[in-house]
Amino acid sequence: MKKYARQPTNEGAFVKRIHFVLIGSVLALSFTGCTQNTSQSNVIKIGCSAPLTGDQAQIGIDTCRGAQLAVDQANQKGEVLPGKTLELLELDDQHNPAQAVNVAKKYVSDPDVIAVVGHFNSSCTKPASAIYNEGGMVQITPASTNPELSKQGFKTFFRAAATDDVQGPAAAKYVASKLGVKRLFIIDDKTTYGKGLADEFEKEARKQSIEILGHEGITQGDKDFTPLLTKIKPMDPELIYFGGIYPEGSLLIRQARGLNITSKFMGGDGLATPIFIELASKEIAEGTYASMVGGDMRKIPSAAQFIKDYEAKYGSMGQWSAYGFDSANVVIEAIRKAGQNNREAVLKAMREIPVFKGVTGEIIFDEKGDNKNQFIGVFKVENGELTYVGPAA
Amino acid sequence: MTPLDVFLQQIVNGLTIGMIYALIALGYTIVYGIAQLINFAHGEIFMVGAYFGLLAYTLIQLLPVGSVGFLFILPLIFLFVMTLTALLGVIVERFAYRPLREAPRLAPLITAIGVSFLLQNAVMILFGPADKRFPSLIEIHKLSFHHVTITNLQIMITGFSLILMLVLHTFIKYTRMGKAMRALADDREAACLMGINVNQIISIAFLIGSALAGAGGIMFGMYYNTINFHDGYLAGLKAFSAAVLGGIGNIPGAMVGGVLLGILEGMGAGYISSEWKNVFAFFILILILLFRPHGLLGSRVVKKV
Repeated sequence: MKKYARQPTNEGAFVKRIHFVLIGSVLALSFTGCTQNTSQSNVIKIGCSAPLTGDQAQIGIDTCRGAQLAVDQANQKGEVLPGKTLELLELDDQHNPAQAVNVAKKYVSDPDVIAVVGHFNSSCTKPASAIYNEGGMVQITPASTNPELSKQGFKTFFRAAATDDVQGPAAAKYVASKLGVKRLFIIDDKTTYGKGLADEFEKEARKQSIEILGHEGITQGDKDFTPLLTKIKPMDPELIYFGGIYPEGSLLIRQARGLNITSKFMGGDGLATPIFIELASKEIAEGTYASMVGGDMRKIPSAAQFIKDYEAKYGSMGQWSAYGFDSANVVIEAIRKAGQNNREAVLKAMREIPVFKGVTGEIIFDEKGDNKNQFIGVFKVENGELTYVGPAA
Repeated sequence: MTPLDVFLQQIVNGLTIGMIYALIALGYTIVYGIAQLINFAHGEIFMVGAYFGLLAYTLIQLLPVGSVGFLFILPLIFLFVMTLTALLGVIVERFAYRPLREAPRLAPLITAIGVSFLLQNAVMILFGPADKRFPSLIEIHKLSFHHVTITNLQIMITGFSLILMLVLHTFIKYTRMGKAMRALADDREAACLMGINVNQIISIAFLIGSALAGAGGIMFGMYYNTINFHDGYLAGLKAFSAAVLGGIGNIPGAMVGGVLLGILEGMGAGYISSEWKNVFAFFILILILLFRPHGLLGSRVVKKV
């Protein structure tokens, strides 16, 4: 029988090695600290970070493809700054807040990165925004809708999407006035986004004197929601509202229908994506409502060209592609205005853009970096397609 | 729907997922019983089984067998997947655990985690990171008793799991190979002296455990209709809890533990709070480890000196 002999330890050498590593990393850190604000290289990098792998990958990939299209088009039109080309640097945050912080640190320490489009999930945007603020780097989130994000006092924070304190109440008003619902049950996925949206929805629903039969959380990544749905079934709500994203949303509606629960089903922008219908199946997703930041893009004239270009390059468009596109374009506009690839100058230029005419509508930043244009539309799954049914409120 | 209906419905739901937990738990328990090794890559084999199922389904779609009907094809898919996962289990054992047979106990535990990451990432690269839609494979019919809904799929999952467990029980109890496995579990050295080929029996333990996990994987896919490359993690952990609940190393224990865990988890989520659903499973694990470390059915092991 082989015996594993104890390795003779040589503590002195080991300690020396640790010192060496420590000194090395301190040196490396101080070098990055000394880099100049204005980069000398001939590429200007714009970051794009979203979940690019994992269960929410589709929605993240859609967003960054929009940003990629904006960068490609800007490069085709000619140089944004003389002698420089734009480049999109995509990094995956895996919708994991800790990973988002790592990504943010990577962007901030790369002197060529001037601004970042991202992150997608509010839970990722929140910790990452502090890093961008320290690095003095413009961050524009195309999709994070939690209202708290812009209340942290970070001058570097911008967002294109409308916030949940607009989306949630608007959806609740729609449910009360257009759908005539009197009793409903609320489920959320306990994330910054899902719970935030569901809480705002609940507040307004109470004001509309809708009876709230209950509000419970589920866990992201779980598969079996039948215990909760079985509990909901005897309450017989007219509508079940879900604050969360499509992987859980599609399972919830499948399992609800499996238990013969016939209540209407509604969610926020996390469900307003074709992949929700694919995962739930067309028959089961039929009739689901989803509120979405912005209205029917196909009716905005400037969007027609974008949709054509996007579909030619990537195939069918996701609901957030246009926000990725617009966010990247605002940043490109700011770089052009600043006239130099310097983070500080771009940040200043970003604040000075009065109105940006994007494909999702006008983007007007308020002093907190939020978009003043907060239009919320409602979509419904009809014949297996997300169809715009009207403004939410 | 009366409170009794709700209670019965929770039992039905819990029983279905509990059966799948039990199938996975059997793999943990057989391997532990024979090799004294917690195979933490076992959850991943279950997940790979679901993907093999999807692969088999896609391949069959390509063949001109549409008219034959899935009643004939379903056993084929199960056979295909269980063979592949069994093979995978044996390969994992051969390359990740066998070279470490005499190493300290922690070493195979670490390679298990390595294998687990390897399989997860391989599936992610091969099949993509997004959720994949998994077909139900059979036409779903709902049967209602009062207000309690049971689907034919739930009955199939429960029935087929029971059959697999029965087959396993017969194998262990009445065949020479089963006898050898029990002997090895009892006392490795003595079994060795009696001429039992230790490596072969351990391979067979992995083979059986992985085949069962593969079957569990297909049924998991059929039941939830979406699969993802990290589904093996949570399901594996829960099945491990189930194995400990029943008494790790004890085969009927794993069956009872799985079903019990599925039902208790459902009850906790349904009657207390769904936010804490996963907490219940692991809370049970902690309670069992504290108060009955040998599990519900496990016998207290006398420490050999």
